[in-house]
Amino acid sequence: MKALFILSFSFIFSTQVLALTLPDGEALRALPVQADGRIKPYDTFAREMLEIVYGKGSFEGRKPHEVILTWMLSPAAWENKELFEVRNHEVLKALNLNPERKRFKGQEVFANDRFTLLRQELQEKRETKEKLTPYFQALQRLENQYFVFTEMATGRLMKVMPVAESKNWKSVAELDGEAQKDFLEMSGKFITYIAAMAESKPANEVSEKARALDLAVKKFQETARSHNPAAYAENSKIETEIHYNLFHPFRWAYSLYILAACVILLLWVLKKDSWMKWAWMMVAAGFLLHTYGFALRVYLTGRPPVSNMYETVVWVAWGAVVFSAVLEFVYKFKIILLAGSLAGFIGMVIADTAPVILDPSLQPLEPVLRSNYWLIVHVMTITISYAAFLLAFILGDIGLIYYLRGEQAYKDKIKEIVLAIYRAKQIGVIFLAPGIILGGIWADYSWGRFWGWDPKETWALIALLGYIAVLHGRLIGWIKDFGMVVSGIMTFSLVVMAWYGVNFVLGAGLHSYGFGAGGVEYVSGFIAAHFLAIVYVVVVRRTRVKT
Amino acid sequence: MESYLSAGGKSAFQKIIKKFASIKMAVVIIALLSILTAIGTFVEAKYDATAARKLVFESLWMFAILGLLSASLIAVMVDRWPWKKHHSAFVCAHIGILALLLGSLITWMYGLDGSVRVGIGETNRFVTVPQTDIIVYTSFDGNQFTKIFEREVDFFREPPRDNPFVVPGDQVKIKIVDYKPYVLSQNKVIEETNPRWGSAVRFQVSNARVNVIEWLAQRSPTSLVTHDFGPAKIHLGSAPLVGLGQNEIYLFPFKDKKNQWKIKYSLFGKKSIDPEKEGIIEEGGSFPTGWMGLEVKVLRFYPMAREEWDVKVRETPTPLTTEAVQVDFSGKKQWLLLNDTMKVFSENAVYYVSYANRRVDMGFPIQLREFIVDRYEGTMRAAAYKSHVIVPEVGEVEISMNEPLYNKGLTVYQSSFQDGPDGRPIASVFSVNYDPGRWLKYLGSLVMVIGIILLFYFRKRMSAKKLTS
Repeated sequence: MKALFILSFSFIFSTQVLALTLPDGEALRALPVQADGRIKPYDTFAREMLEIVYGKGSFEGRKPHEVILTWMLSPAAWENKELFEVRNHEVLKALNLNPERKRFKGQEVFANDRFTLLRQELQEKRETKEKLTPYFQALQRLENQYFVFTEMATGRLMKVMPVAESKNWKSVAELDGEAQKDFLEMSGKFITYIAAMAESKPANEVSEKARALDLAVKKFQETARSHNPAAYAENSKIETEIHYNLFHPFRWAYSLYILAACVILLLWVLKKDSWMKWAWMMVAAGFLLHTYGFALRVYLTGRPPVSNMYETVVWVAWGAVVFSAVLEFVYKFKIILLAGSLAGFIGMVIADTAPVILDPSLQPLEPVLRSNYWLIVHVMTITISYAAFLLAFILGDIGLIYYLRGEQAYKDKIKEIVLAIYRAKQIGVIFLAPGIILGGIWADYSWGRFWGWDPKETWALIALLGYIAVLHGRLIGWIKDFGMVVSGIMTFSLVVMAWYGVNFVLGAGLHSYGFGAGGVEYVSGFIAAHFLAIVYVVVVRRTRVKT
Repeated sequence: MESYLSAGGKSAFQKIIKKFASIKMAVVIIALLSILTAIGTFVEAKYDATAARKLVFESLWMFAILGLLSASLIAVMVDRWPWKKHHSAFVCAHIGILALLLGSLITWMYGLDGSVRVGIGETNRFVTVPQTDIIVYTSFDGNQFTKIFEREVDFFREPPRDNPFVVPGDQVKIKIVDYKPYVLSQNKVIEETNPRWGSAVRFQVSNARVNVIEWLAQRSPTSLVTHDFGPAKIHLGSAPLVGLGQNEIYLFPFKDKKNQWKIKYSLFGKKSIDPEKEGIIEEGGSFPTGWMGLEVKVLRFYPMAREEWDVKVRETPTPLTTEAVQVDFSGKKQWLLLNDTMKVFSENAVYYVSYANRRVDMGFPIQLREFIVDRYEGTMRAAAYKSHVIVPEVGEVEISMNEPLYNKGLTVYQSSFQDGPDGRPIASVFSVNYDPGRWLKYLGSLVMVIGIILLFYFRKRMSAKKLTS
């Protein structure tokens, strides 16, 4: 059975990992494009542009790399498609559009006289340099959608050819001579290929067209490379990025984590303790893929990936799995690994399903964050402490369930959970306190200020004080077992504030599009639901004691 | 005195120590500290870092709580005296925190934290610090000025609205009667009839991407005022005979033969020193420039006008707001912006009133020779920036992000830069810092971390003992 598992796993791995060669007709996806300050494959570029405009990674079942190019080749065909996502109700009202709908035709939005007025309104707001409210952020997105679509349609957005004299690549619209000829050739082949697929031509005819397209792409790439071979993309990075896009290592990781959690639950119900090794193996496999995805991001960006919300969520999920595995190894309670795999699963699912709020794109860094040893060290230390607190939080949730089911009946389980929560909190404090100090060292090193009461550092300190208060309270016996379970959940809200709230609630509008706003209602709802659950359990316990 | 305290108050002293050493007290103090600092972050989000600092982080409340915290940390250590080996963990942690707090106090009291702006090619030796001063100069002949008054003021904490700030002196009738932390200065152009005033024009320069709408107002009919919007300059005043080989537009108001006011425009380009184009327009008229499809339109034209400025008070700050004080001079009230000077006349003297951030001499000048911005490829996003500066006795050095200059006890960090109207940087901004408490903060951090590590080491041994026994 073990062999079967390893076999199936290595099968998945080999088909996915080693499939670096793209299928026929998709060589285009590896075409290097210059955007956002780096060279990326056309595949990534297309997906990011489609997400900006349409808000999803595919259009009516068609992949972004097929969609985006047709904006340029036949913009007229898009006139009647509901392509532009507008969600903000105030903006919809200002545009006199039906608030029941989410997506609109270009004409409905941009040919609207109101759009010109709104752009002026946005410009005036920008000139005052005030923080943008959600309404203006939505307007900003609308303007960005307009910009992306029109610039793509005119061929100015997609920069495909390096030049010798400057770092700015030439866009499709600026191509001339042989490069222009080759690009037109490639476009023609692309259209015949797409048309052949759309008309469901016989398979051999389609694959012939696909191969012709691939040849044309190769030819264009050779021409482009010849203009400045040094500046053209390294093939290996482009291929790795395509592989990263296609393989989704993080999706595999969270699928394995939830499987592991299910196995642990099942082995309790069926009383099959021997199944625990299966759970261990699935967590290990998920963890390997999680680490692998992480390593790919490090390779692609050339820096540890902890510089935005998305990356820290991935990192925290990783840490929660590590800590749970260590504690599980020591105590063998089973429940710790369950909590760890749930933490890994929840973290990764959140990261994967909210691309507009948690931006997964690989972005270049702000100047102050570049090439700084202390920055990386302190961010990684502080966020890894959040991982331990997340583990304590999930253990707290599980503990609440046991309290609800019966304190006496599950006395041993509760004792185990409380010990695990205590240890997780200790681990968190061991990382958070030095992390905050390392942050002070970084600030001192970069700005000459050890401590500046910046909201981010202040909230990290408040979270630390919260956990220290809890640990001190435990020391003198104020906080008993139930208190440990409850504080595991409640104190985590301080971490949520330090981690998410400072950037998304306090600093609303400080960050530009796609990062820094959104999700507040979900996060506060999540916290509120937990507080209500605690109140409910407290009430249930009281009534039990009385009766 | 001493004996009295030790004899009569021993038990009282011990009682106080016991009270402060209790964990109950510690938890209350920790909770209070958390709540206060949390409030501070909300103040910062709504207003700005200065407001948060003055209202919360450097308020009496904060000092009181930190004082209580220190008392409690010390009391615990006194209470456990004489210390045993297993006490070393918490003693280290507590001494570390105390050292950190003391270091911060020393920094706050004796440190220096300011900024220096140096234009490219320029030299500056003064650090601008957050403290503000009111300074009054006077002159009887208009040439020689003497400082007659200087005092540090903190109007944010002590608003002069109810309790006006009076500059002493019988002759000097200067009072500060109001203060607003967040104001925007606004220019207003008002039409006049007196011919001693110059003209004013509200113009628009636009194409598909550029849209500039501005006022140009002459101080006197013969003066020249200029607006530079990057690709070209637009002037109000008489045109020169020859151009400078730049894109320039001159608008010259004049009276035609019928005694009607008109505007003569002349365009100078890069190709020739002679005007490329000339013509006459009125209010509402427009003409194409021939450069990048730009068109110039005269939206408003006042042959005689005066420019006045006014303040608009806001509740919350934006990057464009500044502080302002209202100066009352012999009953006449005027607004004075931070880092600005106001001139007032009495019967026999002229006074200059200045409300400004204090400037402190660094002891050495910084000359900015070159400023370099690296951008991410294909974008205008800054990836890194650095300044090449010349400092006497040090020579030419590079200051970049995370690579400061250490000189004469001061540390000079690259902080930010200023862009000119054409989008190219014109000045570098450094932050300058002197931190006498630094070593204590580092020492405290180290001791505290050692304490935390020891804490878990002893806890583990203790629990191991419990298990075995």
